[in-house]
Amino acid sequence: MAPSLLRRGRSLMTLGALACLLLAVIVQGRIEGERRGGSVHPLLYLPSGKFLKVMALGFDGLLADVLYLWSIQYYGNYDIKDRFDYLERIYEQVITELDPHYLDPYLVGALIMTAEARKPEMALKLLDKGVRANPDQWIMPFEAGFLCYNDLHDYRRAAVYFEMAMRVPGVHPLVHRFQAEMYNRAGDKRTSLKEWLEIYKTTTDPYVRSVAWNHVHDLKVDVDLADLKDAVSRFRDKEERAPRRLQEIVASGLLQALPRDPENGDYLYDPWSGEVRYRGVPILGR
Amino acid sequence: MLTRISAIALNTFREAIRHRILYLLLIFAVAMISFAQILSLLTVGSEEKIIKDFGLASIDVFGVLTAVFIGIGLVSREIEKRTVYTLLAKPIHRFEFVLGKYAGLSLTLLVNTTVMTAWFFLVLLIKGMFDARLGVAVLLLFFQFLLITALAVLFSCLSTPILASVMTLALYVIGHLLWSLDLLSARLSTEAGRILCRALYYVLPNLGNFDIKGEVVHGLTVAPGRLLWATLYLLLYGSAVLWTACAVFERKELQ
Amino acid sequence: MPILELLDVHKSYRSHLSIRKYWILRGLSLSIREGEIFGTIGTNGAGKTTTIKLALGLIFPDTGVVRLFGEDASKVESRRRVGFLPENPYLYDYLTGEEFLDFHARLFGLGAATRRRRVKDLLERVGLANRGDRQLRHYSKGMLQRIGLAQALVNDPEFVVLDEPMSGLDPIGRREVRDIILDLKARGRTVFFSTHILSDTEMICDRVGLLVKGSLKAVGTIDELVSREVPYWEVTLQGIVNGSLPCGRIVSRREDRILVRVDSQSDLRRLLTVLNGHGATLVSVTPARQSLEDLFIREARGAPPSPARADGGHAHSN
Repeated sequence: MAPSLLRRGRSLMTLGALACLLLAVIVQGRIEGERRGGSVHPLLYLPSGKFLKVMALGFDGLLADVLYLWSIQYYGNYDIKDRFDYLERIYEQVITELDPHYLDPYLVGALIMTAEARKPEMALKLLDKGVRANPDQWIMPFEAGFLCYNDLHDYRRAAVYFEMAMRVPGVHPLVHRFQAEMYNRAGDKRTSLKEWLEIYKTTTDPYVRSVAWNHVHDLKVDVDLADLKDAVSRFRDKEERAPRRLQEIVASGLLQALPRDPENGDYLYDPWSGEVRYRGVPILGR
Repeated sequence: MLTRISAIALNTFREAIRHRILYLLLIFAVAMISFAQILSLLTVGSEEKIIKDFGLASIDVFGVLTAVFIGIGLVSREIEKRTVYTLLAKPIHRFEFVLGKYAGLSLTLLVNTTVMTAWFFLVLLIKGMFDARLGVAVLLLFFQFLLITALAVLFSCLSTPILASVMTLALYVIGHLLWSLDLLSARLSTEAGRILCRALYYVLPNLGNFDIKGEVVHGLTVAPGRLLWATLYLLLYGSAVLWTACAVFERKELQ
Repeated sequence: MPILELLDVHKSYRSHLSIRKYWILRGLSLSIREGEIFGTIGTNGAGKTTTIKLALGLIFPDTGVVRLFGEDASKVESRRRVGFLPENPYLYDYLTGEEFLDFHARLFGLGAATRRRRVKDLLERVGLANRGDRQLRHYSKGMLQRIGLAQALVNDPEFVVLDEPMSGLDPIGRREVRDIILDLKARGRTVFFSTHILSDTEMICDRVGLLVKGSLKAVGTIDELVSREVPYWEVTLQGIVNGSLPCGRIVSRREDRILVRVDSQSDLRRLLTVLNGHGATLVSVTPARQSLEDLFIREARGAPPSPARADGGHAHSN
């Protein structure tokens, strides 16, 4: 072929190639548009984690990473309306099956389940799995406890989780404080006091000690007042009258001794109303 | 005898080093490790696991690919293209050829793995995520490469380059699935089936022995004996494979 | 003791996909004497390369014995004194010429100093003295053939085996290879080679073997094979106007000359005597000599062997 013809042929081919590429890009854009219109992401039809584990040929950790990264992007996309349909499948059945020791999927999955999908029980189920698979990670039961506290307001259940966390060596000391406070919230001031006392006695951190003192202070007051109220009512049952002074209760053998308030003072008793009071003010103002 | 084996080994090493595909794979591995960095930006939570997983996986995959393609390319193709005639017409034993080739390939893999690992460790050091135990994981991966190379050499002596590549890769896949064979055997109803499964489980190369990636990334403890047993397994199984290769090659008709 | 000996060797091969056996060599017996240059010629697929591979222990006979220096050819040590150049040697592209020869020299356990010297000498001998430092992948076909030849001589072998040594060479290259082979003979070495180029064989071989379909159809010196017997004469006559000739065949005509072919001495005499009567002039009488090529084509086509030879020489297997 003559050189000029050759050149023309070549530029024709280049032009053709570019045109086809352009068309392909347009088509791809169309495909993306279709997909956005609500078709289901193929990755959602993931086979079960157990099956994937076999297929991964020893790269299950990596596969878990990739799927987790994808899940973050997926759940971060608020456009997808029904994205919570497969939440349990993705986190509980696939990613954590592939790599049970990867902590982030448990924690973040639980977060999404609770805060966004509003399914705290599902989150707890996931975290329970995390606890079982990683008994050496205190963060797992801690998160579960926090979830019970913050979202379910089930303080007793929270306390149980926090205790689980406390049994793990190397647990962060603040977990104990959470646990102690849970009993308080649950209404069990006695146990709360016991725990706060323990914290007060064992901590070396001056800040923590002062915090613990505050709680101990107030709890002691509460507990003492409750004890005294109870003693007054027992006296009434027994003597068929209100005691005139608190010492009478001791004298009648219903109390060993009168508790003193945290300032080592006495609790105030008003015989007319039958009320027992603390002369001071609670530190934590509750 | 040793001079001949070492001459062939060094020659093989030189040939491998000048093979372009080696550099291609190396560049890809380095790129993958770097890519891990970028990918980790997408995560919510710790990026350490992702970088380590990617790094180890890259070394694993590209090491295996190198072992297979360089192994097959340097042995099977040589046999097919008849470069081997000039060699075997010399007073060398056929097994010297096989062992020399294997030694050269192993040396190549050592260099390859060292480069990839050095880059990986550099990335980790810069990010302050370095853990010396990763070195143990890489060492075991290297043992895996040595075993796969032995298999590549064996299949090269048996067959054409394409078939040899396919068979070696197939055994790599099977080698990682053996634990499921174990599970399968428990479910079979016939005694014969169970025995067959058990037999296969022991005969096929158990590559899971060399995989502690998960444990190391998660910082879990690895039983100290593990390294010892893995070494022993490599020595014994690898020797069995190489011996078989020598035996096969001894009477191979070089058409 | 013959350097190389094959005794009633049969070799077959089975292609990968079928069960059928193809016979390559059927009862081949051959013996190469010390100090001779022996060339095998034959059609493609006749078994020349197979014979060579058997000699070097690259393949093994189905039945029969192959002995090199008196030892079984499968024995590794028998190759210590052998040098081999395969057909189309695929070499290590990435090595330089020097590295390539050095590598092969190493396989013989030669010391570093010896190797250096040997490599230099060999490169000079094959005409690659200035190209030793270039990688083989930059060599031309002719250069590759030469370096292959150098490799075959790296251990100063007593027995040199060459499979199509002239292939890919221009006439100058061919002349050089021929000279090397003759030089080897002058030093008392034995050379065994296979080739398609019959003229080369005719020029340098002491003995020639003709392989057709796996067996040796003819073996011997050129003289023994290509008989001195003249199969026919070509007579050029001028001036024969008409009439048929008493004998012989008219092969061609040009102007007033004809070329006649007669098949025997007696026919020739008859023709010549008759000429006088016709008033024709004798221009030339040319005896046709059989060449190796004729022998080759005849045997390869499976024609029956030529009738009674004057000197009694005939195809024998040694």
